[in-house]
Formats: sequence, structure tokens, C-alpha cells
Amino acid sequence: AANKINLIPQDFFAELCEQIIQHLNHKIPGVNTAELCQRIQTSGIELNVGDLSKIANIVSFLFSTAARNHLSTEELITTLSDAVSTLPKHAVQVIRHVWNEQGKSISESEDARNTATVGQFVDLKWKLGVAMSSDACRSLKYPYVMVALTVADPSGQITEKSFEMTIPQFKNLFRQFKEMAAVLETV
Amino acid sequence: QLVSALHRLTRHVVYRGLVRAEDILALFPENFHQNLKNLLTKIILENISAWRNEAQASQISLPRLVDMDWRVDIKTSSDSISRMAVPTCLLQLKVQEDVALCGSSPVVSALTVELSKETLDTMLEGLGRIRDQLSAVANK
Repeated sequence: AANKINLIPQDFFAELCEQIIQHLNHKIPGVNTAELCQRIQTSGIELNVGDLSKIANIVSFLFSTAARNHLSTEELITTLSDAVSTLPKHAVQVIRHVWNEQGKSISESEDARNTATVGQFVDLKWKLGVAMSSDACRSLKYPYVMVALTVADPSGQITEKSFEMTIPQFKNLFRQFKEMAAVLETV
Repeated sequence: QLVSALHRLTRHVVYRGLVRAEDILALFPENFHQNLKNLLTKIILENISAWRNEAQASQISLPRLVDMDWRVDIKTSSDSISRMAVPTCLLQLKVQEDVALCGSSPVVSALTVELSKETLDTMLEGLGRIRDQLSAVANK
């Protein structure tokens, strides 16, 4: 994966590192690797989401380990160069800059959010539709609810999952959520 | 040939949404055997709603929700915080990928999400708006 870092132009790599550090600082819910990858691909570079995710994970691990060990910028760069000699110079520069600016603020914040072991909910988008007709049924008139759930997975990367449900399913879902909220209130 | 013809007939009835005996009887040619015609029409009428539901269930669609489980936990401690009492909600949604693509062995994936009180309230707000829209549409 270190070789793939060569493919990423400096400004995109800087953006990735920025997002990672902001996520570690709890300023943003996660790193939007899919969206960033799409922009990288549009600019003509052949990089797939899987590789970008791996790179994001590595950098995230690098920063969080450095934070835990209270490394200064120089210590971080030295450790990095000792471990990975094939990193391109511009990547090292970006890491040095980002760590200098924001590395110190990844404190061991007394925060319940640090305990993420499953995906974290980020956003819910919805759409109500009626399927009018299909190849099997000319006059279908079948109502449904479409939901797109944005989730930050445990590694901090943002994914979106879409699914549809029938109206009775939706009503059941709503009821269950109200129950959950009620329990959360009383606990 | 017989099976194929019956298949086409039933598909046609479901497609056009024919529900009255007269409409179905009208599909048969003039000199068709009377009793057979009535028997077939009766059988078709009996099965029409089941076939229609089947057509609705197996139409192309995006992944569908098949199951939902939830649990409320209280986080009492972690490696960074020794004592706390933070209620949190774990939700597992089981989603079945496109039925039409999977054929007879559908792929079900599970999505596990953690929600805090704030995020749960956001979700509820969104769902409430869907519910309002539904009632608005139903009343039209």
C-alpha cells in the first residue's frame, strides 16, 4: 500500500490526512473515502476505493499511535522514515505539516465517543415513492419508503447503505424507534 | 406448449389487472370448450391476488429491509474512561440484496449501527416526517 501512496497527488493526500486528523479530533464523524476516491479518479488517476481505504487506515493508525505516545513532529517523522523508507517526499511533508498543526490536539479526550466498536450513525435520507407499473403488472400502485443510511464504520470511514421497505414495515420501524427512544429516556 | 400457453394466459391476466370473470372469459376464443373455460376462469380468479402479490414482491428493487433488532446498553467503562453511565442504542438491520438478481439464494447482509440519544432523536424526526408525508398522500 505504501507504493500506492505514490499515485496520490499531494493536495489529495493532504485532504485525506486533514480528514483523518479531524475525525480523530471528533470534529467530523468520519472520513469520506468513497467521495475522495471518486474525485481522485475523475482527475485521471487509477486508484480504487479499497486501496484508498487501506491507506486511510494506515495513516489513521499512524496518527492515533503517535498521539497515544505523545510524539513530537520530529519523533514522528524519524519513526516513520525508519519504518517506511519508500514513502514519497511530498507525503512525508504533508504528514509533518498536518501533525504540526493539529497533532497535539488529539488529546486523550475523556469522551464516550472513543469507544466505537460498531458503526456510528451519521445521517438518514429518505424518499417516499409509488411504483406505478412493472413488466409483470401494468397497474401496480405499490407505495414504498426508500432510506439511505450514512454510517461511519469503526475504522472511521463513511459508507452509505440504501434499502427499501413496504409501508407496514416502515410503520413497524417507526414504532420500534419510538420504543428505543423511550427506553433510552428512562435508563 | 400447453404449459407455455397457460403461463402466458395467467401472466396476461396479472399484467392487465383483470379481476372480473367477464373480462377473463372474453380472452378465450369463440369455439373454446364451455366447461373448461369456466373452470379455468374460476381457478384464475382464485389465485389472482396471490399472483399479484408475488409480482409485487419479486419486482426489481433496491435492497429490502427484512429484519430489525435493537438493544439498549449502558457503557460503564472503557480503556480511556474508568467510570461512566452512557446509555447507547445498538441497532441491527438485515437487508436483502436485489431479489431479482439473487434468484433463489438471496444474499442478506447485516448492518450494525450505534445510536446515541441525540442521533436517535434525529432519526425519529426524519421518520416522523415520512409518516406525515404518508398520511398526507393517503388522504388525497
